Amino acid sequence: MVDVHEVPRPRIATGHLAQHIGKPVCFVGRVEKIHPTGKLFVLSDGEGKHTTVELSEPLDEEISGVLEVVGRVTNQATIMCMSYVQFREDKSPFDLELYNEALKIIHEFPDYFPFG
Amino acid sequence: GGYTQSPGGFGSPTGTQAEKKQRARSQNIVPCTVSQLLAAEQVDETFRIRDVEISQVTIMGIIRHAEKAPTNILYKVDDMTAAPMDVRQWVDTDEAGSENVVVPPGTYVKVAGHLRSFQNKKSLVAFKIMPLENMNEFTTHILEIVNAHMILRRNLMSASRVPQSFSSAGMGDGGYGGGSSLPVNGLTAHQSQVLNLIKNCPVPEGMSLQELKLQLHNMSMSTIKQAVEFLSSEGHIYSTVDDDHYKSTDAD
Repeated sequence: MVDVHEVPRPRIATGHLAQHIGKPVCFVGRVEKIHPTGKLFVLSDGEGKHTTVELSEPLDEEISGVLEVVGRVTNQATIMCMSYVQFREDKSPFDLELYNEALKIIHEFPDYFPFG
Repeated sequence: GGYTQSPGGFGSPTGTQAEKKQRARSQNIVPCTVSQLLAAEQVDETFRIRDVEISQVTIMGIIRHAEKAPTNILYKVDDMTAAPMDVRQWVDTDEAGSENVVVPPGTYVKVAGHLRSFQNKKSLVAFKIMPLENMNEFTTHILEIVNAHMILRRNLMSASRVPQSFSSAGMGDGGYGGGSSLPVNGLTAHQSQVLNLIKNCPVPEGMSLQELKLQLHNMSMSTIKQAVEFLSSEGHIYSTVDDDHYKSTDAD
């Protein structure tokens, strides 16, 4: 199984999940809820739309705030997470809505921001 | 005789191929994605991303791996557009200072450096690696990449379309210095072209809209008028004998 970290991972929002089924992606969103088992959590994107993220192993730490998830989109349009990173917000809050606008731009101009 | 350097992103006109090469070294530092760097083609000493020349670049990504050697630190920086890129930072072995501190994996950083290729493998030699303190800088970087590459590409396209009569002597056929600069004045390609023509017009009453239309084959009158309106409101040009004639406010 190819390591998703070695291939291009398009940055997407919830609305793009359907077009990326089976593909590696990068999703940035705010933690909304975490399932008690720790194997599932929900992130909201810059438009407030929710995406479900699944883990193969339960979380071993508290997560909150803005997360950047790398994984593969499942047939159910959830994301199977391979790794995640918390965006630091200790100095400034992260403007998720602005990030969403930037995503629209890079999707509109793939020639100037190529994935792969 | 001599010639003045045309403003608006044209390189100085050159004569020979050799001179052109020397002077064509890009003075810009261009924000890029790793995927763009990997796709860059190398001709002799120069790299080009779809005809746009690059040398110094900035990338932003997360450190996946850091390896410290006696003389350098090798990082792998990942911005999601491709596999992580090798970034090498030379360490000053005499100085026991901050250069020796390794940035830990999992940190988002901004890297400024030079693109290199060795045995067909691309890498960066960094002169600066800075952890991001504000992740909104990352969003800005994304937008700057699209903006920069779009402008650089547009400068290349519009340079080849500027009418020869307003080229400085010696520019030659399609002679383009190659050292395009990002317009720091915030003008679009259309606005720059209109401004350049007006600036270079030697006639006392300035350039008329009709003359602009004659010279700028690719622009409609309404586009020209829009550009003139903008330039005028920004103070780059002023009307002279009537609203159809303009001169540049910049002393040439």
